[in-house]
Amino acid sequence: MPDKFIISKLSNGLNIAIEHMEGVKSVGAGFLVQTGARDETPDLAGVSHFLEHMCFKGTPNRSAAEINIDFDRIGGNPNAFTSHDRTFYHGLARTEDFPTQLEILADMMNSSLPPDEFDMEKNVVLEEIAMSNDRIEHVAFDLIVESVFKGNSLAWPVLGYDRTVKALTRDQMNHYFRSRYTPANMVLVVAGAVDPDEVIAQAEKCCGHWVAGEPRPERTKPVMGTGTIQKTIERFNQQVVAITFEGPGASDPMHDTAEAAASILGGGNSRFYWNIEQTGLAPYAGAYRLDFGDCGLLILMAQCDPQNTDRVVEALRKEAKSFAAGPVSDEEIQRVKNKRRTSLAVEGESPHHRLVQVMDDIDYRGRPRTVEDRIAAVNAVGQDSLRAYFDAFPVDGEGLLVSVGPLKSSAA
Amino acid sequence: MAEAVHTQLSCGVELAVLELPLRRAVASEIRVLTGVVNEPADKLGLAHLVEQTVDKGTQDHTGRELQDEFDKIGSGVHSWCGKQSSGFTSLCLPEYFARNMELHAEFLRTPTFPQESCDVAIELARQELLSLEDDAQGLADKHIGKQAMGPLLGRHTFGESETLTTITSDDFVSFWQSNYSAGKMQVSVAGPMSPSQVQDIIEARFAGFGDKTPANRDEIPVEFKPVTTHHNKETEQEHIVIALRGVAKSHDDYSTARLLMGVLSGGMSARLFTEVREKLGLVYWVGGWQEHPRGDGLLYFGASTTPERCSKTYETMLKELARVGVDLTQEEVERARTGIEVRFDIRGDVTRALCGELADDLMHFGRPISREDKLDQLRKVTIDDVKRFSESHVHNAPRSVVTLGPKSLES
Repeated sequence: MPDKFIISKLSNGLNIAIEHMEGVKSVGAGFLVQTGARDETPDLAGVSHFLEHMCFKGTPNRSAAEINIDFDRIGGNPNAFTSHDRTFYHGLARTEDFPTQLEILADMMNSSLPPDEFDMEKNVVLEEIAMSNDRIEHVAFDLIVESVFKGNSLAWPVLGYDRTVKALTRDQMNHYFRSRYTPANMVLVVAGAVDPDEVIAQAEKCCGHWVAGEPRPERTKPVMGTGTIQKTIERFNQQVVAITFEGPGASDPMHDTAEAAASILGGGNSRFYWNIEQTGLAPYAGAYRLDFGDCGLLILMAQCDPQNTDRVVEALRKEAKSFAAGPVSDEEIQRVKNKRRTSLAVEGESPHHRLVQVMDDIDYRGRPRTVEDRIAAVNAVGQDSLRAYFDAFPVDGEGLLVSVGPLKSSAA
Repeated sequence: MAEAVHTQLSCGVELAVLELPLRRAVASEIRVLTGVVNEPADKLGLAHLVEQTVDKGTQDHTGRELQDEFDKIGSGVHSWCGKQSSGFTSLCLPEYFARNMELHAEFLRTPTFPQESCDVAIELARQELLSLEDDAQGLADKHIGKQAMGPLLGRHTFGESETLTTITSDDFVSFWQSNYSAGKMQVSVAGPMSPSQVQDIIEARFAGFGDKTPANRDEIPVEFKPVTTHHNKETEQEHIVIALRGVAKSHDDYSTARLLMGVLSGGMSARLFTEVREKLGLVYWVGGWQEHPRGDGLLYFGASTTPERCSKTYETMLKELARVGVDLTQEEVERARTGIEVRFDIRGDVTRALCGELADDLMHFGRPISREDKLDQLRKVTIDDVKRFSESHVHNAPRSVVTLGPKSLES
């Protein structure tokens, strides 16, 4: 039986990470490109995401229609997403169709950015921005990152702005594309019942000729903003409030403790659930983490009737303070571990989940973790690690308060 | 993969078990065959409220204690309320399955509906209706549901603000008494558990739970209204939904309908995506989907776009719906078929997806249908079948249309 993980590298610098899985019919494959919105300049805000769209629009070998048809011939389920710090192109196909799947994905990484498709796709991206502007939670999220990361390249939305997308030229995109989509910034990730030697041979065939390039420029760690930001948008009916605190990044040893803390505070059967939602204050109140390799955020967020805003903000702060002051019971910690253990067991069965988890590990930790490694990390969370987390990343201070909705006066 | 074992238990519960020895976790779905169609007309929203509150206290545990008990065994539990059923799903490790079912039986059989929890549920439902007002797509779906399915099946899970205010905690109890019983339950389980083990556990937990006579399995006719309405809303995008009559999952033409939907919106080379987005750049999102009340079906097509592109988007969608029955190619049919088959295989790698399929089979067929049978049905469909179905159900069919946004189609 092959090893669980096989890590390899082509001579041009392209890294390859393979997880061999037994007893599954599908295989997930994807190219991680380690560039995203935070690697843009302000005038190019949105180029990473727009480029992700353009990679589906044609190559020297295929038109946009041919890419789509070739994927659909194998039922390849292609998709992609762009975030602040990465772009991931992936597909899920039957094991026997893996060579074709990889060949098409690799071909897309050599997009010709067809000029005749550029303006058409720009319209599509502008429609995506309009769609996002109609969602209050998207508007709130964009305001959070704009405010908390002010002055840093993490501050603009992944989709960019109407004005930057409209102004973007194909030449600008091409320059960005050529400098970032190089083997030095890319990883091929595969999860499924594949023969690792065949994967590497196929990767050599499809990607071995790629020209080695330079790593992307270094990133700057942001200084987190604090204070209160309010945006009045009268057409919305609810108010979204969020309080953010600095947290550990995804590669920090405290990462799993921070995840557990967010779950105890604002996951299912959490303090927020019983003390905020189940008192009727807000139909949604949760805590979640936004993490990058070098920094992270804890976001306490609620959506509520505008008339409840002050009480909801007060309740979020009260719960955070009480949580930080302790004590957190062993039972509370254990419950979170138990739930995570079950979900990891289930996720471990699925090539799609493992593809994304391996990609995440490779990007932020430089090595993949097995399901058992992940469970061990969750099991290591305890009273001591939570105390250390609160000492390093206090959640009882001012933080940054963001409020979006029809309210005209500050909720703070 | 083994075949599912289907049993009518003596306690009244209908059970299907798919044994998957190599999986790590067990997925289960308890469907209580009651939903919004069973609500009194002046108490809309009640089925959802009961589903949300049934686990908020029992004779032995408070709601919080009950959730803690689930967490102790690491059981991930969720619930939902639909038109004709309410679902209680869970995922747990096999060693905890018996305890997991014991806890489910406890809240389904002995809920206390504490006054405070009922009041909170009503208040949260009121706020959920408010949040729906900020979800333009969800709102468009609510309007098309009423228009395409009629006053009973078209009810929305959240109810209406005026009916929520009339609901009392006595209504919670009375709805539960009338609609929650073993004879109205279908349980599906997939994972590393033998059918006999599961049967024993379910039988023991639900013996004596209300009336065991099978009930609430009737078909309710769709009342389709072929009209076009516009709903004004201050949004950046206009939302378009087109509804057409489809067929039931148990209908002979169901696989044909699936293939047609695959051709129109199944993959990236599907017609709507290609013509509306790829060639004209009119939208970010365009798609098609089906909805299946028991014994019936509807086909939906939707898109969202900025108001100045709305008419062109709508016209292009209609053009594609008309054209597909005329110039459909064998290659398109094969791509759609492959897409469905591959998604079928991929779902087979996911235990909870297999459990969900089993639950759907019980709901729509009254028995599990083997995956091979489903694939056989799909493989039998010819291009002529798809063309015929397209002509009868799409091209020449009456349609119900909703637009929601700042501009109607006529303006």
